[in-house]
Amino acid sequence: MVQQTKLSQLPARFPLVCQWEITCRCNLRCVMCYTDCRNRPDFVRHELATDEILRLMDEMAEAGTLEICLTGGEPLARPDFFTLYEHAIRQGFLVTLFTNGTLIHEAEADYFAGLRPLRIEISLHGVTPQTFERVTLGTGSYRRCLEAVGFLLDRRLPLVLKSTALTLNRHEILAIKRYVDSLGTVPFKLGEELRPDLNGSNEPFRYALSEQEVTVLNQEDTELREETCRQKTATPMPCESGMHRFHIDAYGRLQLCSGNRAESYDLRRGSFREGFFNVLPTFACEWKAARTTDLIRPVVHHA
Amino acid sequence: MGPATVYAKNPDYVQREVAGECILVPIRRSLTDSNSIYVLNETGAVLWRRIDGARSLQDITAAFLDEYDVTAERLTQDFETLLTDLLSIQAIDEVSVADGPAD
Repeated sequence: MVQQTKLSQLPARFPLVCQWEITCRCNLRCVMCYTDCRNRPDFVRHELATDEILRLMDEMAEAGTLEICLTGGEPLARPDFFTLYEHAIRQGFLVTLFTNGTLIHEAEADYFAGLRPLRIEISLHGVTPQTFERVTLGTGSYRRCLEAVGFLLDRRLPLVLKSTALTLNRHEILAIKRYVDSLGTVPFKLGEELRPDLNGSNEPFRYALSEQEVTVLNQEDTELREETCRQKTATPMPCESGMHRFHIDAYGRLQLCSGNRAESYDLRRGSFREGFFNVLPTFACEWKAARTTDLIRPVVHHA
Repeated sequence: MGPATVYAKNPDYVQREVAGECILVPIRRSLTDSNSIYVLNETGAVLWRRIDGARSLQDITAAFLDEYDVTAERLTQDFETLLTDLLSIQAIDEVSVADGPAD
């Protein structure tokens, strides 16, 4: 018996890792969020129902999927979240949760401590209520987020804190990083990537930093500078979207990744196996290099 | 760990088949020190599948010897190693003789 953190022997295409946007509902309205445009009752009505999600989890387990990242929207905004979470854990999935943290109180933290996820990643937008809530547009969200961080740390749950660098929090990014460092064992991730919202609007880019601002930010911190240098000089890893990774949206559509929804397979109408093994390989991706794709067509196919 | 010992699986471990490999996933991760999965080799997978809280190690070994071309000595050695590993991560427990076999 060998103890491992990852499987090493996999076929070139295998549905190992799922990122699942289980809802676009959210209790916050973050200004740069690309799913918030679907955080409305008319869209929510079409989201997958509990039994549909459970059925798909069973199909994925049978097909060999090992890791599931539950994201949103805010996953805990679904009233059935813990039904879904528990089913995923009991099926033997390694579950990562992307959350804003504000719906995690002591009871929820206790629950996670009993059935531990692989990782919980919380978005931390600032270190003052003013900055944090200029991003989230949610009064009290700063306090609730930090309380959740405390509850999870008290229970030694595997936590990651992350920020997206925006014009609104640029002045606090280094303070956020210092705060996370002060926690001792919590990794920090800084992202700069924004994307158009799901309705195609470029509104989130209003808050993007200029290239020069990003450069200045990286120069202010040794670790950020080193990470940027590492990314620039390292050979890019092959994209595994559609190969070992796939994405499912809130409406049950199977896609290559959350950044390429140009083509979808409707999991409400067909099986997961059919979708992953027979249909996904026919999807196109303009970013995927040919050498990484023996089955995915690397041609421009976006509208 | 004797021939008459009966083992039962800990329900907090889930067996998964992933890309042809038999793995064990701990669902209550406080049982382990890290976020690990456990990959069983072929013999380990067969042993794990046959642990049912009712059959003794002797029964499992005898059935295995009938089906596979392996010496009793080698199999006993392999099983001892595997059982030690499974016991160390609390994936199995000995069923008390006084309690009788588990359901």
